[in-house]
Amino acid sequence: MRGRFYRLIRDLHLYLGLFSSPFVLLFAISVFFLVHAWLPKIGSETSTTRVVSALPLPVNLQRLSGRPLIDALKATLEKADVHGEVGFVRHMVKEEKLTIPVTIPGRETIVTINIASREATIVTRETGLADAMATLHRSPGEHAPAIRMNWFYMQAWRWLADTTAYLVLFVSVSGIYLWYVLRAERRVGFVLLFAGALSFFGLAYALSH
Amino acid sequence: MRSATEPTAAANPPAASRLRVRLERWNRKLHYYAGLFLLFFMWLFAVTGLVLNHPTWSFAESWTKRTDTNSERAITALGPELRGDLAQAREIMRQLGIEGEILWTTTRTNADQFDFQVRRPGHYYFIKADLALNRVTLRHSEVNLWGVMKVLHVFSGVQLDDVRQSRDWALTTVWAYSMDAVAAGLIFMVLSSLYMWWELPQKRLLGAVILGLGSLICGLFCSGLRWLF
Repeated sequence: MRGRFYRLIRDLHLYLGLFSSPFVLLFAISVFFLVHAWLPKIGSETSTTRVVSALPLPVNLQRLSGRPLIDALKATLEKADVHGEVGFVRHMVKEEKLTIPVTIPGRETIVTINIASREATIVTRETGLADAMATLHRSPGEHAPAIRMNWFYMQAWRWLADTTAYLVLFVSVSGIYLWYVLRAERRVGFVLLFAGALSFFGLAYALSH
Repeated sequence: MRSATEPTAAANPPAASRLRVRLERWNRKLHYYAGLFLLFFMWLFAVTGLVLNHPTWSFAESWTKRTDTNSERAITALGPELRGDLAQAREIMRQLGIEGEILWTTTRTNADQFDFQVRRPGHYYFIKADLALNRVTLRHSEVNLWGVMKVLHVFSGVQLDDVRQSRDWALTTVWAYSMDAVAAGLIFMVLSSLYMWWELPQKRLLGAVILGLGSLICGLFCSGLRWLF
């Protein structure tokens, strides 16, 4: 019975660890970019500008804001062939302009719509793999939950990011079990576990007190 | 009982060099050791990662449950030798007995009015200094344990999209390099686990399928979406 349980945990540790390993690598590598505010240029960064006219606009545009505005602008963006997660939309009433930031990991698009002429200037910037990884690491994040996750793929990313966190928790707990069964490694393991706990709680205490 | 990470007889033929056997053994040991040392760090980042991804989870709410303390304090005049915002901010913090990472949130328009924030896990200080009157209005917000943990997740002193922020507290630097060490440790653990898996021939096929699936999905988000759209 115990042997069967051990084998089950061992296999789950292996296979779930393998599934999550590319995600863990993504999160771990992007830590260096975020902690040091440094983005290596992996691939060339390009920028293109195009103009699209005769765009459909929501009829009640003036009254909309937040998520309803983003949802209403989906058809407009579809027509302009712009896809991705829509950020905070700026409505400049005086200038009769809408500025819509749209993000795909590794690409930033700014759509500026002239409401009167229904014409949009679309500036697309390819920001590269490192930026894509940093974007994914920070998505969805804690800010503006009411408007976030308005694109299916970013919604899916949230599930995957959550799954990665749950898998890391499972793999670490199952790893403790697998280590504990190995009696020969217990003493060194306990010393390291204690040293790690001391480092972690010591640092956390020093930072917060 | 054989461990999942122990080499099998098939993976470790008699002709295998001693160096390779030693490499396998140490790879396995270091995988355990790194995991045990980094355990609490991993738990912090995994749990706070979930909490940051779900700001609507009320049990982990910290900002609305904060305690605020407002005070007004006199400070001694800042001398002419204190040039620049950073030096002046540090001197004001010294006089107020505050330690932490300085956060520049406003652009200074009036030479006598100096506003800035100081942050450390669990504590937020909002400082408004009137340098003409030598008085400081201080708001100190203290958050709960969830607030401390969430800040630890993101506490690096710098921001990708704000070049004004730079690390100016020694402990921020220590924590930033600790995060680097945790990330490096995780990368090592992933690579060492791949090596251990590869040394188990009977697990290679299913493992390759699962690893391939994970890589495909992850690759879709890193690069694939840009190809598709």
